[in-house]
Amino acid sequence: MTHTVLTFISKVKPDKVKELAAWLQQIQDRPANNAIVPFGNLKTLHFASFVLHEPAKAAEKEKYGSRLVFENNFDGSLDPYLDDLCDKVGPGLHRIYLQCQDYPVADASDREGLKAYLKRCVVKPNAYHIGNTGRAAPRISDEQTFRDALELRADELVIAGKPSSASELFNALRNFADTTPPLSQLKDPGPRQSFYEHYWPWLSLVVQGLIAIAFIVLLFPLVIILALVLFYKEKTDSVKSGAADDENIRKLVASEDHTTSVQNHMASITIVKDGWLRRRTLWLVLWAVNLLARANATHGQLSGIPSIHFAHWSMIDGGQRLLFLSNFDGSWENYLDDFIDKAHTGLTAVWSNTVDFPRTQYLINGGATDGPRFKAVARDSQTVTNAWYSAYRDLTVQGIDNNSSIREELRAPQTDAQSWLHRL
Amino acid sequence: MFELESTDVQGLVVTSYSNLPCATYLLLQVTDPVGARSWLSQHLREITVSVKSDAQFATNLAFTSTGLRRLGLSEKVVSTFSRPFQEGIATEHRQRVLGDQDENDPTKWMWGNDKKQVDALLLIFAADENVLKSQVQFRHQELAASGFAEVVVLSAGRNPDSHEHFGFSDGIGQPVMEGTGNKQRQFARTNHATELPAGEFLMGFTNVYGVTADSPVVAAADDPNKNLPDVPGDTTGLHGQSGMRDLGRNGTYLVFRHLAQNVSKFWNFVDFATHNSNDPSAADRLAAKFVGRWKSGAPLVLSPKDDNDTLASENNFAYLDKDPHGFKCPIGSHIRRSNPRDALGPDAPTALASANRHRILRRGRSYGDRAKDPRVNDGQDRGLIFICLNSDIERQFEFVQQTWINNPVFGGLDGEVDPLVGNIPKGDSIFTVQGEPLRTRVHGLSRFVTVKGGAYFFLPSMRALKYLASLGSSGPKEV
Repeated sequence: MTHTVLTFISKVKPDKVKELAAWLQQIQDRPANNAIVPFGNLKTLHFASFVLHEPAKAAEKEKYGSRLVFENNFDGSLDPYLDDLCDKVGPGLHRIYLQCQDYPVADASDREGLKAYLKRCVVKPNAYHIGNTGRAAPRISDEQTFRDALELRADELVIAGKPSSASELFNALRNFADTTPPLSQLKDPGPRQSFYEHYWPWLSLVVQGLIAIAFIVLLFPLVIILALVLFYKEKTDSVKSGAADDENIRKLVASEDHTTSVQNHMASITIVKDGWLRRRTLWLVLWAVNLLARANATHGQLSGIPSIHFAHWSMIDGGQRLLFLSNFDGSWENYLDDFIDKAHTGLTAVWSNTVDFPRTQYLINGGATDGPRFKAVARDSQTVTNAWYSAYRDLTVQGIDNNSSIREELRAPQTDAQSWLHRL
Repeated sequence: MFELESTDVQGLVVTSYSNLPCATYLLLQVTDPVGARSWLSQHLREITVSVKSDAQFATNLAFTSTGLRRLGLSEKVVSTFSRPFQEGIATEHRQRVLGDQDENDPTKWMWGNDKKQVDALLLIFAADENVLKSQVQFRHQELAASGFAEVVVLSAGRNPDSHEHFGFSDGIGQPVMEGTGNKQRQFARTNHATELPAGEFLMGFTNVYGVTADSPVVAAADDPNKNLPDVPGDTTGLHGQSGMRDLGRNGTYLVFRHLAQNVSKFWNFVDFATHNSNDPSAADRLAAKFVGRWKSGAPLVLSPKDDNDTLASENNFAYLDKDPHGFKCPIGSHIRRSNPRDALGPDAPTALASANRHRILRRGRSYGDRAKDPRVNDGQDRGLIFICLNSDIERQFEFVQQTWINNPVFGGLDGEVDPLVGNIPKGDSIFTVQGEPLRTRVHGLSRFVTVKGGAYFFLPSMRALKYLASLGSSGPKEV
């Protein structure tokens, strides 16, 4: 099972920004079952968001205008999902895109027109990460139901005090799952990844990595010169001075921590530093991040961070801006601290190519390790998420993985009963 | 190397005054700025600093952001304090962060909400009841005549021991600040000491990130008498720029939470949850699982089977190696949540370093009389005056509260919060006691601790107090 991670990005008509924001607020109030885009009707959707971004600085506003970023993280490939979107929430999307420039469709019933428009607006991320590789959205919900029922049954067994050995308890719970609806009726979802899905990213990592090494060797003098230029520039690039804008933070936190601190969303748009070298460096870093994430970050963690469901990095506007979207577990403070403590190298390598970032050395050192300054830059670059939908608001990446293991190992021939019981 | 400027730092930063067992907290409103400033300048020398003393009492003073504004500090300067301090403890978002919902909702507080706003906090500690009484009476009259009004007076009388009202020894684990000599003392007492950089607890100094802890500043022109130190040119916080004066240096943020404990409800629940057991000590065992220590203070990690007085103040232990699954000390127990040490992985050094970015100095005390029979509801008000010090409220106090105490998925748990102080939701709340062959889930928890009030204060340095007292006299104009 594979997922698709992408955004649709449109330019908003300048005089329609307020109106659009009001529409989006209606979606935000009831993301699953609002009257405009009831995300709950899309059964293959994991997370979605609408971000209406208006640059704060006048010069940037002039240059880029206001954008509507529509984020989608779903099961399978684009075409069937687009069909689903148009069928289930088409009229609502039509009303939203009427507020955007270049939207050519006049009639809400013009399904093909909407579909063609959305296809034109697709922006595929340069790099992305998926926390729960290979799990379809319905499977994730099913497995929580499965686990909840097992937990309740386990409570009964504890009170009864019998059976009392690990293997008998395991057998009793397996028997319960085999014979009690709805557990016994759930279909076997099969493996998380097929052989091909598992090994293809590794093959591609090796092949592309070798090609990259060959390039570095062939162009060694050039690479050295470019690196020296970069290392010189990072000494003189301007860094953010001062604290984050408290007003912006107040707007951001208004929509944070609503799912009893289980999940949050973050959207950020940063300006890539001027010049060909920085744009190329950022592109290369994201390319490497993506290769590694595809192959290696398939067990719930990205560089030691255990809490990211879906994250994307996209270079937009011809590489002049970097869009980052993340659907993560826990508080903003915790998320940023994880970045600082566990993934500061990769993080610095990406964002040091954007303006205001704290001082770095050799592209990957320094930077994010200046925690307070990094958090101030992160807050300033963050933009309000106008509407956000999660198909499973109460579940974490680690919880979902554990639920899958509970179900998979219950059927597996070699499961150690005691280790399995630890999962409850 | 950090050297404590002990005559500039208020005493509460380096000590909890355990030699002064009686305490009163006067929560005040500034009614007349001129009178309040003049009181401050006259009595400045009576504020206790971080110098060892045999005095029979100690006095410390702190202000909320509304208090600073009323004293005449300009909005420009107030805006250089951290956002949580500026906004105060009771905001809509902060309610979600701190778990101040339902019964804990600020609208239900005794004080600290819109209806009873607090500007200042005078903390008085004394060697005995008589000294305390005379000190409080003396301040009471003096303050009323000097532009302050009392909002609430909270007293934490003498306690027979260091146990909180549920019956458990409290205040064992504490980080220590470098440069105070507390490391040796803590080590001698508990066999363990985590020493942290001064910038974790004092603004204007190097913090755990190796950068200067952010500190509020004043333009040089607004400090014509040079009461305040310069912002050091090379190492500045986010707000500081060279040429400005450092208002926060040697000061810190003081978090104050008035927590009522329902002791009979707690023990009756524990009795009910264990009523099927034949073990007469089952209730004490379950309560110890909630806490993570036995009543004596002995940690469950080191003494999983029974209480052990010889380990009463022991703090030299960790989780990842000895108890990764929580079979001894449950993953959701109060002490494991409030300081996870190395438990959250991926490896011990990384986890410890991460956890140590979120430590606080606790300076709280129990209030109210100990219950004669903890199972009988005697209608008395008792609880804990929770006080902690930190230089970054968001990263320290609020993080502990949100990401550890009230996190329903803390350490891989599935939908439960701290059984003692968590924001326990309505409905079937659970607590999981990990064990082999199978965990036990305790159902039906309710709130045993309720928030009755709270505020975020700034505990200024002596120089900053002097500066505040001088506001309006020359230079800075009154608003």
